[in-house]
Amino acid sequence: MRVPLSWLREYVDTVAAVAEIARRLSISSLEVERVIEVGVPDVDGNLGHFVIGRVLSADPHPNADRLQLCQVDVGNPEPQQIVCGAWNFGAGATVAVGLPGALLPGFPGPLEERPLRGEVSRGMILAEDEVGLGPDHSGIMLLPDGLQPGTPLADVLPLVDHVLDATPTMNRPDLLSMIGIAREVAALCDGALRLPGPEDPPVTSPEPVDVAVEDFGGCPRYIGRGFRNVRVGPSPQWLRTRLHLAGMRSISNVVDATNYVMHVWGSPLHAFDRAKLAGGRIVVRRAHEGETLRTLDGTERSLLPADLLITDGEKAVALAAIMGGLDSEVSDETTDVLLEAANFEPIGILKTSERLALRTEGSNKWEKGVDPYAAEPAAVLASRLLVDLAGAEPTGSVDVNDGLPERPVVTLRPERSRALIGLDVPDAEQRSILGRLDFEVDEGWQVTVPTFRARDVTREIDVVEEVARVVLDRVPKTMPLRRAVAGHLSAEQRFRRMLEDVLVGAGYSEAYTWSLVPSDPDPVALRLPDPMSGEHAVLRTTLLHGLVEAARVNVDAGNPDIRLFEMARVYLPSGDRLPDERWYLGGIAEGGFAAARGALEAIYGTFHLPLETRRTTLPHLHPGKAAETDAGWLGELHPTLLDGTWGVFELDVARLWTPRSERILYEDVITYPAVRQDVAVVVDEDVEAGSIVAVAREAGGAELRDARIFDVYHGDQVPEGRKSVAVHLAFQASDRTLTDEEADAARARVVEALRNRFGAELRG
Amino acid sequence: MDVEALEQAALAAVAAASSTDAIESVRVEYLGRKSELKLALREVRDRETGMSLNAARERIEAAVGARENELERAELDRRLAEERADVTLPVGGYERGHLHLITQIRREVEDVFLGLGYGVVDGREVESTHYNFDALNFPPGHPARSHLASLFLDDETVLRTETSPSQIRTMEAQEPPVYIVSLGRCYRRDTPDATHTPMFHQVEGLVVDEGIALSDLLGTLDLFMKALFGQERRTEFRTHYFPFTEPSVEPYVSCHVCDGAGCPVCRHSGWIELGGSGMVDPNLFEFVGYDAERYSGFAFGLGLERIAMLRHELPDLRELWRNDLRVSRQF
Repeated sequence: MRVPLSWLREYVDTVAAVAEIARRLSISSLEVERVIEVGVPDVDGNLGHFVIGRVLSADPHPNADRLQLCQVDVGNPEPQQIVCGAWNFGAGATVAVGLPGALLPGFPGPLEERPLRGEVSRGMILAEDEVGLGPDHSGIMLLPDGLQPGTPLADVLPLVDHVLDATPTMNRPDLLSMIGIAREVAALCDGALRLPGPEDPPVTSPEPVDVAVEDFGGCPRYIGRGFRNVRVGPSPQWLRTRLHLAGMRSISNVVDATNYVMHVWGSPLHAFDRAKLAGGRIVVRRAHEGETLRTLDGTERSLLPADLLITDGEKAVALAAIMGGLDSEVSDETTDVLLEAANFEPIGILKTSERLALRTEGSNKWEKGVDPYAAEPAAVLASRLLVDLAGAEPTGSVDVNDGLPERPVVTLRPERSRALIGLDVPDAEQRSILGRLDFEVDEGWQVTVPTFRARDVTREIDVVEEVARVVLDRVPKTMPLRRAVAGHLSAEQRFRRMLEDVLVGAGYSEAYTWSLVPSDPDPVALRLPDPMSGEHAVLRTTLLHGLVEAARVNVDAGNPDIRLFEMARVYLPSGDRLPDERWYLGGIAEGGFAAARGALEAIYGTFHLPLETRRTTLPHLHPGKAAETDAGWLGELHPTLLDGTWGVFELDVARLWTPRSERILYEDVITYPAVRQDVAVVVDEDVEAGSIVAVAREAGGAELRDARIFDVYHGDQVPEGRKSVAVHLAFQASDRTLTDEEADAARARVVEALRNRFGAELRG
Repeated sequence: MDVEALEQAALAAVAAASSTDAIESVRVEYLGRKSELKLALREVRDRETGMSLNAARERIEAAVGARENELERAELDRRLAEERADVTLPVGGYERGHLHLITQIRREVEDVFLGLGYGVVDGREVESTHYNFDALNFPPGHPARSHLASLFLDDETVLRTETSPSQIRTMEAQEPPVYIVSLGRCYRRDTPDATHTPMFHQVEGLVVDEGIALSDLLGTLDLFMKALFGQERRTEFRTHYFPFTEPSVEPYVSCHVCDGAGCPVCRHSGWIELGGSGMVDPNLFEFVGYDAERYSGFAFGLGLERIAMLRHELPDLRELWRNDLRVSRQF
C-alpha cells in the first residue's frame, strides 16, 4: 500500500511530521517498510523556482525543426522565452515551468539560462516525469485553465512529497485504504479525521438499473449505477499524479476514477461498457460447468461451478472481484457505463484466484475481507468523479443486498485489559483510545465495533489488543513472577547432545541434509503428492543419501579428512496418517570399515554399552564389510555409491539409548590388583574376533575382567588359511588377590575352550 | 690417624669436585669400603674414637650428598638449557570436528531458556492440519493453508510450517504452569534462494501461568535478544498479526553491525526484525481445555537461520545445507 503524504493529509489534520507518522504507524498499526522521497529536491528555495505559466505564443524555432520557441507568462511583467521540444500544446495552454536555478531530480546542476540553437531559453516547460509527478514523457503537463500565472506550482501539485510504503497485516484490510490509514494517524498522532463527503450527483436522465444477485453468500451487496454520455479521455494532472504516487498507471478518466476510489475507500470498483452488456443487465451467479471467460489480460479462463461470476444474464462479463472480461472493458468508444461498487466474500475469491494463479489489486483486497459498508461512499465518490471528469450523466442507482451485517458488540473489562497488557492504562484513556478508533463505548463498557473492523474484532481480547497496540511503546519490560521453576533437558536430550559431542571429539563435523530426498530405499516411504521438485519428493527413512551427497560435495571441493555425521529425524511409515518420527544418527568417513567401527567404538564406549556386531548384508554396503548392531548398521559404503573407501553407519538413537543402565555401580578394581596374561592362538582365517572374545569370556568366568584382542598376524609363522590372534586377558577378584595358580587355571580354561570351539592351537 | 686432617681433606675434595663423576670419586676415596676412614672404623676399639670417627663420617657424607645434589641439579639445568622446542610448530593429531552452526545456535538458545527455568520439548515434523492450523486458530482462508505455501502429504497431513503445533501438544499433555521452548525443522514451499530454503529451523516458546502479561513477553524477549546480539542492544516491539496470538507483536533488536545508524545488514533501517510473538489467543486455551480466565500466556517463534544469517553475515542460506567442510570449520 503506497500512501502519498500529500494525499493522506487531505483526510487527516495533524502537525506530526512524516517521520513521526511513519514511526507511530510502524509500532501500532502496520509495517512501514520505507518512506520514499518523491518530487524535486527539497532544498532551500528550490520550490520557488517552479511556477504556473500561461503560454502566450508558441512558434516553430527559427533554427530547429523539432523545437518550439515559446513566450510564457510566469507572473512577471515581461514574458519568459523558453525553448521546448514538446508539441502537445499551443498558445493559451496552462503549463508548469521550471525557472533558471531550479533543481530537478536526477539533474546534476540547476537549470541555467542558455542559448538553444541561437535562441535563449530561460527555463523549461515541464513534463510530468521530469519532476516525479508521473511516468509520461510524450509531452509536457497540461494544467487546468484558470490558474494564475506565477502561482507556485507546489500549491497545485505535490512537487515535494513522501510516500509511505506500508504493508498491513492480513487482519487489517481496512488499512488497504487511504481512509483507513488516515483514521489510524488521527488516533495515533492526535489528529482530526476529515472524511471525504462529496455531494452525490443527482440523476439527470432516469433509467432503471437492472441488477440481480443469485448468490448472496458470495456477493452480499451489489450497488450498480448507470451513466450515459460518458466522454472517455485522459485524466487531469492531479489524478494522474496521485495514481502515479500510489503506484498505479493512469489508463483513462473512467478507469482511473475507479482505481482512485479503490485506493481511497479500499473497496474495489469496476466499470463496464454498458453497451456490451446484453440488455444492460447484471446477474451475479456461480459459473456453469464448462463455462469460459476471456479476462482483461486476454487469457481464456476455464471456470468451475465454485467460481463467482458477473454476467449480463446471457454471458459472463467478469470474474467477480478478480478481473473484468475483455469484451465488456471500457474503451475510448464507450459512452454508457455501468459502475459496480459491490462486496464479495473472501474465501471463494481466494480459492478462485489461487486456482487460476491470478492475483490482482482487487482480489488482494477482497480475499482479506472488505467492509460491505464501504461500497456506498465509494459509489458516491466514483459517481462524483465520473460526472466531474468525464461529463457523465447519472441514470440511476440500485443497491441489492440481503441485509448488511450488524456491528459486533463486545463487553470490555478495563481492569482485564490492564492485567493482560501489564501497564496501568486508566479507564478514561482506554475509552479515548477506542473512541478515536471509531469504537463506541457506552457507560457499561459495551463496545460497539465499527463496520470496517467487524471481521477482526469480535471478542474482549480483540478490544484489549486495540488498547495495547496504541500504548505498545509504553509497556514496561518485566519477567514472569513464577511459583514453580522446573526447567532441564530430558535424559534423552542430554544423551543426544553427548552423542554430538563424542563424534565432534572424534573428528566428525555435523552435516544438515534435506529431510525430503529424491528417492528412498523403503518402497513405502511417504511421498509428497505434489512436491516442489523431484529433488525433494520423499520423506527419508535413512540419512544415508544426504550424507553421501555431503561427502561428495567435499570430495569435489578437494577437502581433506572428510568425516561427517548427522543426527536428524527419519520418517518411518507407521500405518497411521502420521509417520513414526525417529532420531537417527548417521555418519560417513574416509577409511572404510575401520572408520565406521572406530566411530561406533567411541560412541558405545562413551556410554559403556557393549558393541556387539554381527555380519550382515545390506544393498548399500560392501558385501564383505557390513555389520549390524542392536541399534543399527555399519560398514564400508558400496563402491558404486561414491568413489573412494568410505565407512558409513547409522543408529536409531532411541534403540541405542533404551538399554542404557540408569546407574553405574562402583566396582573395586584397586584393592586386589589384576593378574594379566597374554595368549596367542592360531585359528582359521574366518574365525571372527568377536567370537574369540565371546568364547574367552564365557570360559574365563566371573574373574576374567578383560579380554581384548591386540594383534592379528598372517604370514610365514602361520599356515596358509590360518591366522594368529593375540588376546590380552586380565583376571581379577574383588575379594582377594588371585594367585598365579588360579590365573593359570583360568587361562588354561580359555585356551581349552578356544581349542574345542575353533580348533585353536596355542602359539609359542 | 688425624681425623681432623682427614675431614678437612675430604671437605676440600668435596668442594673441589666439579662434576657428578668427580663427587663419586670423592665418595669412594673418603667413604668407600677401602677408605682410610672405613678401615679406621673397623679397627676402632674405644668408644670415644668411634664416636669422633662416626661424627666425621656423617659430616663428610652430608657434604658429599649436598654437593652431589648441587652438581646433579646444575647438570640437569645445563641439559635442559640446551633442549629447545619450537613452541610455534603445530603438531596436529587431535583433529576435532565442528557442530553445525544451527546446532550451535540451537544450544545457545536452549541454554538461555534452560537458565530461565524452561523445559525443552521435541515436537513432531509431520503434523495433522488440526495441530498445524485448526488448533492454532488459522482462519479458513489463511494463505498458509494453501498448497501453494505449504507441503502436504494429504488433505489432513502437512509438514509443519512452524514449530507452533508443539504449543498445542504441550498444553494437551500438561496443566499450567507451562514454560517451554521447542526447536526444530519446519517446511514451506519456498523455492531455494539466498534467503529462503524449503526447510528451516525455528525456536518456539510458550508460557502459560497465572498473571502473565504482555509486559512479561517483552521482558523475556528483551533478555533473549540481548543474550544473542549483545547486552548493549536496544529492543523494540511492533504490532503485528498472527492467528494464534492476540495481541501480537514483532520483536526488533537494534542492528548489531551499525548499532542503529543504518547499514546493509539491517537494510538501512537500524532495526532487525527477529520473528513473531504475542499473547496466547484464548481460543487456543479453549481447544486444550485451559481456563482462559484464570490463565494467560505468551508465545514466540524465531528463525534460527535468520539469527545465523544476521549474526555471521552469511550471504546465502543454502550454504548451511551443502556441508562443505571449509564452511563448517569456520564455526
